[in-house]
Amino acid sequence: MGSKTSLSKALVRRETISGYLFMLPCLFFFLTFVIYPMFMCVFTSFFDSNMGKNTTDVFIGLANYRELFSDRIFLGALRNTFVIVLVSVPVVMVFSLWVASAIYDMPMVLTSAFRCIFYLPVVTGSVAVTVVWKWMYNNYYGIFNFLGKNLGLIDKNINWLGDEKYALWCIILILLTTSVGQPIVLYVSALGNVDKTLIEAAEVDGANRSQVFRNVKWPQIMPTTLYILIITMINSFQCFALIQLLTSGGPNHSTDTIMYYIYYTAFKLYRYGYGNAMGVVLMIIIAVLSAVQFKLGSSDN
Amino acid sequence: MASVKLVNIKKVYPNTETKKKKVKKGEQPEEKKVNLQITDEGVVAVQEFSLDIADREFVVLVGPSGCGKSTTLRMIAGLEEITAGELYIGDRLVNDVAPKDRDIAMVFQNYALYPHMSVYDNMAFSLKLRKTPKAEIDAKVKEAAEILGITEYLDRKPKALSGGQRQRVAIGRAIVRDPKVLLMDEPLSNLDAKLRNQMRAELIKLRQRITTTFVYVTHDQTEAMTLGDRIVIMRDGYIQQIGTPQEVFQHPHNLFVAGFIGTPQMNFFNNCKLVKEGNTYAVEMLGKKVALSAEQNQKLAAAGAADQTVTVGVRPVHLDITNEGFAAKIDVSEMMGSEMHLHMNIEGQDIIGIIPTAGLDLNTVKNGSQVFFNFNPALIHLFNPETELNLI
Repeated sequence: MGSKTSLSKALVRRETISGYLFMLPCLFFFLTFVIYPMFMCVFTSFFDSNMGKNTTDVFIGLANYRELFSDRIFLGALRNTFVIVLVSVPVVMVFSLWVASAIYDMPMVLTSAFRCIFYLPVVTGSVAVTVVWKWMYNNYYGIFNFLGKNLGLIDKNINWLGDEKYALWCIILILLTTSVGQPIVLYVSALGNVDKTLIEAAEVDGANRSQVFRNVKWPQIMPTTLYILIITMINSFQCFALIQLLTSGGPNHSTDTIMYYIYYTAFKLYRYGYGNAMGVVLMIIIAVLSAVQFKLGSSDN
Repeated sequence: MASVKLVNIKKVYPNTETKKKKVKKGEQPEEKKVNLQITDEGVVAVQEFSLDIADREFVVLVGPSGCGKSTTLRMIAGLEEITAGELYIGDRLVNDVAPKDRDIAMVFQNYALYPHMSVYDNMAFSLKLRKTPKAEIDAKVKEAAEILGITEYLDRKPKALSGGQRQRVAIGRAIVRDPKVLLMDEPLSNLDAKLRNQMRAELIKLRQRITTTFVYVTHDQTEAMTLGDRIVIMRDGYIQQIGTPQEVFQHPHNLFVAGFIGTPQMNFFNNCKLVKEGNTYAVEMLGKKVALSAEQNQKLAAAGAADQTVTVGVRPVHLDITNEGFAAKIDVSEMMGSEMHLHMNIEGQDIIGIIPTAGLDLNTVKNGSQVFFNFNPALIHLFNPETELNLI
């Protein structure tokens, strides 16, 4: 910024105009397909709306929101969503940091190999991955039941996805495998970028491995940790495709998440206004949690 | 406080593997070992390095880039594995002792201050790790800060400090814990010229207040000369000479040391003839015959020197402008204030002379003028052009 002020005004203006021109195409799409729908989402949440399917929209104020908090299915979905977030976020964080720490200073070939293995589920289409998992969980010929019985861990076949006790945990397990790839890649590069002389300085200062990690590496990778925390959290909150493909929220709404219930309400029951109200609530929850994390994370630095 | 003893230390970087690792971890580019010997076992960075460093001695390792001086220091610190040889700190063999257990402190070239800690915490870190009582930590940090004049910055983060202040913090961090050995890896090379001179003087002062053993690495021979009790001059992984600043300046062991120590560089005259006439020696150079001093004669005779081709070395400060002697043409004369640097040409060879300006008629040393120079034969050095060793 400092250097810009020394340029002539006319020059700055010309650069600004060309800058906006470059932005224009992107800005157009962003406004049309992101900002406008977001606005519409908030707007329609105050209406009894079915997007003109049968009747015109009727303004009903906060009635949708009031209904939300007495809707047992929504509250159940909210609880399920929080279970997924509270389990998957810490597990993803710890596991990815552990793997990254173990592989980042291996020889280049090994590091790349491990990175590739953990990243594969991310690049493989989620539908393909889910179909394979669905087969593995199958009640009659799934590999889990086969192994479980042969190893004597279970007496009889378990209907993994059809049982309220297990269904949500099965989904969390799949979510974990697809969520760790990105954090591992990010952590490997963050750890590789920690200034080597800082680590050496700490070693000379008398720090053992865990002290070096706690006092040097951990603070240095804090920005990455924060970023991973937030993307993992958002990713977990928005868990949808898995549910849609595996259980459709069943059995008995035991695997409903907010995202899935929004889809269900809006596109199966055609209650757009009500669905959008849930979307707004989810947005507020994610925004608040992200803000809190940023606040906590940046106060360290 | 402890002595340090290096016995026949050798460091070899295995071939391809380390190269890849180096690139990945962003090792500093000057560490390139281009002029080192590449053998079947790998790149030899240091070899046949034997040195006894006495308790409380200040030893400076000096040499051009890639001579192995930093590698040697890092081996003492325990940051590089020692390929062969033995390293003792005090009486303890520490080849396989981790850096944290060697009780050494190190000042890094880029300071390596912990960016997320305040100056106070940076300095207290090693003491905290040793579970020193809080009050003692506080007293020691404050004392060190006092010595280095950084008391007012104790609450700041390193980011908010200037280069010179960071340097002080780095030194402070090293001295708070009374290490047995204090290692310094080019600590002044990131500072500007003025600060460097100032910090150099402060290091000398600091040295008097702190009783520990210092090992200091630099490529700057001025730092080496002014700071060191003894200087170790290295090239291509080999020690060239070990001696006090005076010794290495007055009796350089070989051509390399003669050229490396002293600025401007010593003038070398190749293809001169050493001739023995009865019991005395003389040197034939640039068409004249120069008789040598009694002391030089004695040394040459003791060494049994015969007639041979030699390289004559004369320091610029030992050249005088006289009325007769060797005729040379001045290409450029540089006025430095109290002295003058004369870049001269004699029979196609460039040489440099330094003469005092007091009482000098500047007209006689203008660019392009013809002058005569001479020197005191007692101050010249004779080198065997093949072995490069000093004959005297």
